[in-house]
Amino acid sequence: MIYLMQERLVPVVCPFCGFGCRLYIKAYDGVPVGVEYMAIPGSVNEGKLCPKGAAAADFLRHVDRLRKPLKRVGEKGEGKFKEISWSEAINEIVTRLKEIKKQYGPDAVGFLASARVTNEENYLMQKLARLFGTNNIDHCARLCHAPTVVGLLKAVGAGAQTSPYEDILKTNVIFVIGYNPAESHPVVMRYILKAKDRGAKLIVADPRRTRTAWFADIFLQFKPGTDVALLNAMAHVIIRDGLYDKEFVSRRVVGFEELANVLRKYTPEYAEKITGVPASLIEEAARTFATAGKGVIMWAMGLTQHTTGTDNVAAIANLGLLCGYVGREGCGFFPMRGQNNVQGACDMGCLSSILPGYRRVTDAEKRKEVASLWGVEDLPPEPGLTVVEMMHAATEGKLKAMYIMGENPVISDPNTNHVREALKKLDFLVVQDIFLTDTAMYADIVLPAAAWAEKEGSFTASERRVQWTFKVCDPPGEAKPDWLILTEIGKALELPGWRTYSSPEDILREINAVVPQYRGITPERLKKQLEGIYWPCPSEDHPGTRRLHEERFPTPDGKARFIPVEYKPPAELPDEEYPLILTTYRIVGHYHSLTMTGRIPSLTKRWPEAYVEINPRDAERYGIKDGDRIVVITRRGQYECRAKVTTAVPPGVVGAPWHWGANVLTNDALDPEAKIPEFKVCACKIVKKE
Amino acid sequence: MAKRIFINLGRCILCRACEVACEHVHGEARIRVFEYLEMMALPINCRHCEKAPCMEVCPTRALYRDADGAVVLNELKCIGCMMCGIVCPFGVPELGEEKIMIKCDMCKLRREKGQLPACVVVCPTDALVYGELRELMTARKALAVEKAIRAAREVGTSPVLL
Repeated sequence: MIYLMQERLVPVVCPFCGFGCRLYIKAYDGVPVGVEYMAIPGSVNEGKLCPKGAAAADFLRHVDRLRKPLKRVGEKGEGKFKEISWSEAINEIVTRLKEIKKQYGPDAVGFLASARVTNEENYLMQKLARLFGTNNIDHCARLCHAPTVVGLLKAVGAGAQTSPYEDILKTNVIFVIGYNPAESHPVVMRYILKAKDRGAKLIVADPRRTRTAWFADIFLQFKPGTDVALLNAMAHVIIRDGLYDKEFVSRRVVGFEELANVLRKYTPEYAEKITGVPASLIEEAARTFATAGKGVIMWAMGLTQHTTGTDNVAAIANLGLLCGYVGREGCGFFPMRGQNNVQGACDMGCLSSILPGYRRVTDAEKRKEVASLWGVEDLPPEPGLTVVEMMHAATEGKLKAMYIMGENPVISDPNTNHVREALKKLDFLVVQDIFLTDTAMYADIVLPAAAWAEKEGSFTASERRVQWTFKVCDPPGEAKPDWLILTEIGKALELPGWRTYSSPEDILREINAVVPQYRGITPERLKKQLEGIYWPCPSEDHPGTRRLHEERFPTPDGKARFIPVEYKPPAELPDEEYPLILTTYRIVGHYHSLTMTGRIPSLTKRWPEAYVEINPRDAERYGIKDGDRIVVITRRGQYECRAKVTTAVPPGVVGAPWHWGANVLTNDALDPEAKIPEFKVCACKIVKKE
Repeated sequence: MAKRIFINLGRCILCRACEVACEHVHGEARIRVFEYLEMMALPINCRHCEKAPCMEVCPTRALYRDADGAVVLNELKCIGCMMCGIVCPFGVPELGEEKIMIKCDMCKLRREKGQLPACVVVCPTDALVYGELRELMTARKALAVEKAIRAAREVGTSPVLL
């Protein structure tokens, strides 16, 4: 008898970046064998993939996958665990959390949600934290686009990407700052190059000559951390020469006079002294940008991960608003999201000061609205601790326990050594993940979770596009989907108002009721409409909103605001002891903390090890040759890797991809408003390893 | 008609998605992308030459041309002598672990199912395009004309004068 295997193609959403690529996984008899390379009309990527997406299915059946709950038996960080049963694990978690709540109050517990799990799971996580009695709920958006959310909220009233990617195709000028789509989102380059085919101009501003800069018409290579000076100078030229959209500015924006006053001193010559970009090039860029008629602005971590992150975002919003490049076809603000559900996790309220649907916890009326939907009287009114603040509170002994779902702060947070100390000091740590990460090494209980292809749910991509991802196969061993684990823990904690959820669809229906932007995004519609629905979608027959701010801005008076900002230098500048500037970035072949991509052979073969980029001039000064082993030292730690001698970085700057743990070096100084740490600039020195 | 995987130099962003996709289909990548002078990328794949030197020198006639014009290796006939690798101006054929040559077959099995070669499907920027040679070249000419017209408009002259 011949047994024919059942072949099945399952549509999923790529688990890596925030672009929202749709891909199909091929499975035989429920065993995933790989990604099926095929053109997918109607999807945002049309079947195009980056190397990570092309190898996305490879880690699902990896031997390192967690298969049973683990309990730590050795010292913290030692990595000695024993397998326990689910009921034991949940019992232990619930008893310990209850003890700590009783002794120190609910605010002694911190919860970290994840930008890598579905909307439904994030929603449950923040509901769990808030019903537990604390707003200490945060996730890694804090480390990427918190300044965008804060800055854009002030400027235009909403912190999300304003337009769909089609608008890039219709634009005349693309201004990219602190962002390298060629490596971070290769499929975005498809849109940019298509726009260039039509004659659009590309302006790239970056301290490194990135691969995106290869394609630039104008390339502004400025000193790390001087973004505000550069952007203000461009705005200065635009106002000085009268190139701004006067009609748009007078009708839809307030605060022009104040802005013009502040910008008066930011002449291109003044900015040249700060940024190192020739004044004439700043003028040319400003003129090209302002006279194009239609323009898009794209930015990412290079702009936001600074102590002046919020100011940087305000400066770029000013530039866009001056030219009227928002709320029209071919225009828009594109804060490019790095993780496949970071937008969704923010929408679901996994932020210490924000409830689902961007209701502030301090707003008593809105808070009570959510509370009544959850069947409780009120929710905690004080904003909780953010990611980095939780680590500080843990070292100070104020935070006693943490529950971390699908995050790896030991690699992704700044100043790694401090994070390790903080995790060691906790009385109790639960980590829920698919692999035993560096963070899980410090956990008391490790829970095995299902990976993205082993469960259903919705992901929200950067452009507010909500897409449903389908289940390919069962999780390995006894691993369970995150929503199921959280449902059980919530039930065992006997939280008031907690429901027992039966499926992701069940949770999404509750989200429809609680989050106004998601009201019409029902599971039935999402499953039928594979290309997804854009929020805000106020009702079931609403098609979704592709472009924001077309008529009015969601501010009380319907107008946007100019927010004048002044240049401030980064928190740590080079000095005699640490003469170089260190900046970090992402490479195309790996994803964040390597938990997934580090286990895919076709990627580790091509991008095998850590390196640091050094300009030939600096290399000569320190006697370093390409490929030498060097040690990079900052005030916070040291990091050994190979040197890559390249002119992509200017003299005086070294660049390190952070995937392999370069955050042991970075500075945890915070932006005062958005609380984002300054990953992108710190002082360092390099020593050749003998 | 002769079909080719055409390379649009100047569109490659060096992401190496083609290499990874090829590796997943063939077990080992048969396309390589190189960085050139830290300012552009050069993908090198089999050109499936019209007068393919590899076919001419193959002592066992293991290399043949299929209906789409691809130069394909018959693995049963190959003896791993590396003659094809020696004469190839691009250094494309390599000796595999199984002691026979490996080279691009333009995804023979995928073409038989009506699918495009894997590298072409994934390439995010269309730096790799699959199609009939003459059509591809015509499209390229049209793009060049468009660019000339646009450049002329910018300086306010006729394209003939450029």
